[in-house]
Amino acid sequence: MSNKKRYSMLASTAAVAFILAACGNGDTDDNTGNSGNGSDTSENTDENASPGDEAEPVTFDQRVENEGEPIDGGTLSIGYVSDSPFTGIFSWELYTGNPDADIMSYTMGTLFGYDENYQIDDSGAASFDLDQDANKVTITLKDDVLWHDGEPVTAGDIAFAYEIIGHPEYTGVRYSGDFANIVGMEEYKDGATDSIEGITIVDDKTVEIEYQTVGVQMLQAGGGVWSYAAPRHYLEDVPVAELESAPEIRENPIGFGPFKVDNIVPGESVSYTAFEDYYRGAPKIDRIELETVPTTTAVAAMENAQYDLFMSMPTDQFENYENIPGYTNLGIDDTAYTYIGFKLGEWQEAEKDEDGNIVEPAQNVYNPDSKMADKNLRQAMAYAIDNDAVGAKYYQGLRRRANSPIIPNFSDYYNEDLEGYPFDPDRANEVLDEAGYEDTDGDGIRETPEGEELVINFASMSGGETAEPIVKYYMQSWERVGLKVELLEGRLHEFNSFYDRVEADDPEIDIYQGAWSTGFDPTPEGLYGRLAPYNYTRWATEENDEYMEAMTSTEGFDLEWRQEQFKEWQEYFMDELPIIPTLFRKAVTPVNNRVGVYDITVGENPDTEGVGLHTLYLISEDRATE
Amino acid sequence: MWKTIIRRVLLMIPQILILSILIFILADFMPGDPFTGLVDPNLDPAQLDAMREAYGLNDPLPVKYVRWMKNALQGDFGRSFNYQQPVTAVIAGRMGNTIRLSLLSIILTYLIGLPLGILAGRYNESILDKTVLVYNFVSFAVPIFVLALLMVWVFGYNLNWFPARGSISVNAVTQWDKWMSQLYHLLLPSITTAILGTTSIIQYLRSEIIDAKVSDYVKTARSKGVPIQKVYTKHIFRNASLPIASGFGFTIVSLFTGSIFIEKIFTYRGMGYLFLQSINTRDYSVIFVLALFYGFLGLIGTLLSDVILMAVDPRIRID
Repeated sequence: MSNKKRYSMLASTAAVAFILAACGNGDTDDNTGNSGNGSDTSENTDENASPGDEAEPVTFDQRVENEGEPIDGGTLSIGYVSDSPFTGIFSWELYTGNPDADIMSYTMGTLFGYDENYQIDDSGAASFDLDQDANKVTITLKDDVLWHDGEPVTAGDIAFAYEIIGHPEYTGVRYSGDFANIVGMEEYKDGATDSIEGITIVDDKTVEIEYQTVGVQMLQAGGGVWSYAAPRHYLEDVPVAELESAPEIRENPIGFGPFKVDNIVPGESVSYTAFEDYYRGAPKIDRIELETVPTTTAVAAMENAQYDLFMSMPTDQFENYENIPGYTNLGIDDTAYTYIGFKLGEWQEAEKDEDGNIVEPAQNVYNPDSKMADKNLRQAMAYAIDNDAVGAKYYQGLRRRANSPIIPNFSDYYNEDLEGYPFDPDRANEVLDEAGYEDTDGDGIRETPEGEELVINFASMSGGETAEPIVKYYMQSWERVGLKVELLEGRLHEFNSFYDRVEADDPEIDIYQGAWSTGFDPTPEGLYGRLAPYNYTRWATEENDEYMEAMTSTEGFDLEWRQEQFKEWQEYFMDELPIIPTLFRKAVTPVNNRVGVYDITVGENPDTEGVGLHTLYLISEDRATE
Repeated sequence: MWKTIIRRVLLMIPQILILSILIFILADFMPGDPFTGLVDPNLDPAQLDAMREAYGLNDPLPVKYVRWMKNALQGDFGRSFNYQQPVTAVIAGRMGNTIRLSLLSIILTYLIGLPLGILAGRYNESILDKTVLVYNFVSFAVPIFVLALLMVWVFGYNLNWFPARGSISVNAVTQWDKWMSQLYHLLLPSITTAILGTTSIIQYLRSEIIDAKVSDYVKTARSKGVPIQKVYTKHIFRNASLPIASGFGFTIVSLFTGSIFIEKIFTYRGMGYLFLQSINTRDYSVIFVLALFYGFLGLIGTLLSDVILMAVDPRIRID
């Protein structure tokens, strides 16, 4: 399984970066929470979710067991539901799009396993040890981990991944502060040295990486320590600049995962065969065939039992596949949430002195005079909308009201005691009255405490069928408590122009609706820190800075202390409310009943039946249709 | 004639230049860039900016244009952001699929259209003629995406006769298997295209034949004692096919353009699908080359049509 570190921007609607709006055949929805877009569409919606409806979130099993005698071998077929065909770069170092990551995860292999909190444990191909005093990470490979060509995976292969990413001619996008943090990396990247000083190959199986500073987030899967190895013996003759077009990456890639790549039809399908020497044991299934399926035909493919597993099944069509005979729907909390952000400041570019040295880094600057600066106003807007009803009505219960910017998946860090902002229009009115937002001219619309007209401009993305009804519902709800909210330019905006304008702090935008995919690291600094460009609200306070520092400090190696910091921060954040976290999401995986056991529980040991790909088995030659 | 052709070809150079400037300006108006959707707080924003800088996205429009032109003249059309490959390699990867699909579609279109047009014209006012006319009206009226969706649904999913998506099976290993698998995947989309593509062929042929039946040269031939079958094949068909020939230049270039609707609905990886996708993801370099390529094909298409018309009809001269 892959443990990618990724936050990505989620479009609140469908026709977005990697997704094609279908031409004339309906809407698209990708709710994988991974490809930089998931969307908020659903069918069968009323124009208004009527407030006060009791929402019953749908519950799912995370494991299915079908009784039957295992058959010998067999082919598992996977429908990978996506409107963006994969690029076909089978390299963790060089891929860009998330479809590529998902498709190579069957074959390439990762170094570390993780527990239910996405924290690295010893269940992977290598063990991991962080020495906080020496600023050092030691990675020790298990014996018998082999590449698909039979060569052992060595410490040199782990170092090779760093050498690729740090290479002066590297063409990919993975280089980041996490790499610059390695001793000697900058020099290597500038071409001053041929090797990275901080990376020491101790023996065949052990590598030590010395950092300038270490942080507790490094203990998270994908929290800063690269989780992959690259086959040095196979790739070292290819110049780094040419790697991404090389046949060794695109046509005949090798990894150390449970299945070998057999055939790749670029953008369409991949077949894999069992790798008999997989270090956890030979897979029980002979072959995997994976095909990309457009979102528009995914349900039809399921009705015809065309695949055993459907990956990233669109949740907006859930009611159409909820009860298809032959399939069991498994579900887990998606690592994503939807939110409404308040624009509270501006992004300020770095200040440089005459020599070009940075005196003041680029940062978010809070503006206490901005339209949304009063937290009472923000809180009232949160009380005024019924997200329980939105989840029930628009998403058939697959989404539910969020109470925190930390998703429940991070169970150790998520503050489940927070009440958040349940629907309470009376409370909203009260808060507004007390804060001085009163209707002074008798038109039913509140004015600012200074007596000026208050019109709030709301930006949201276009795309699915429900994008507009949901936005309309929110606006009507706010009107009911006397707040005039207008849709920016009277319409929804296309993904690219939406994020262009939100990012550029367009003064026309007061509030906006977006979504984040959180990745596997709960640390919120990348989204809400002072120096974070993705902190689109531009909210920054000294108190928040202190929390951020605490959450990333080395004291956090005391996990209980760190969890406490997280919980306190969430309380503080939900009171300040620079964003209203609106909805948590479920991700659904339909599994055909001929798959013996299948288990999507996060952090389960891969050797548990149904978890690791090598443990899967089939109980029938033909797919079940009932 | 050669003089005309050369002049027309020379004239294409300024036409293409103007087209390229237009496309460049329009593409620049599109909000967002290839990195808009690629957000990762672990990426230093400086890193993303460095990528933008490296791809030259921050430069002013004229600078971008001149640089692109310079490279293009040396055969370097840039790299695709999405596919991390040279644009030419990306397009080459799709061209084969599109040519195969268009070729089969065209063949099927003529296989259906020619006989129906001829028969309808020869036996006009008969039941057959009326049936053909009804078919013609329907096929003219039905949008291609409606029929395509219907075909996928009926033959791809309900009856399971044809694959519902893709261009080749992942299990095809030997060359023969690959060909067969490709053909199998081609059938449904090309039949769909052909069913709806016959309208003008049938209509032109039919009315030309009806006109020709009463024309003097046919009467002369008949009175000389030429058998009726021969009159149709030798005399009438040649004249009646002129209007069709006039469009044949475009038919040839359509081999390379591909259909956005068909390719999207059948998830068929061809040029049309690539074009659509590149626009959605702001893959400028691909959009640009494709738009320019389509423009170029349009110009070639008109030229070819004129040349073909000259070849089949000696009465036509273009100077």
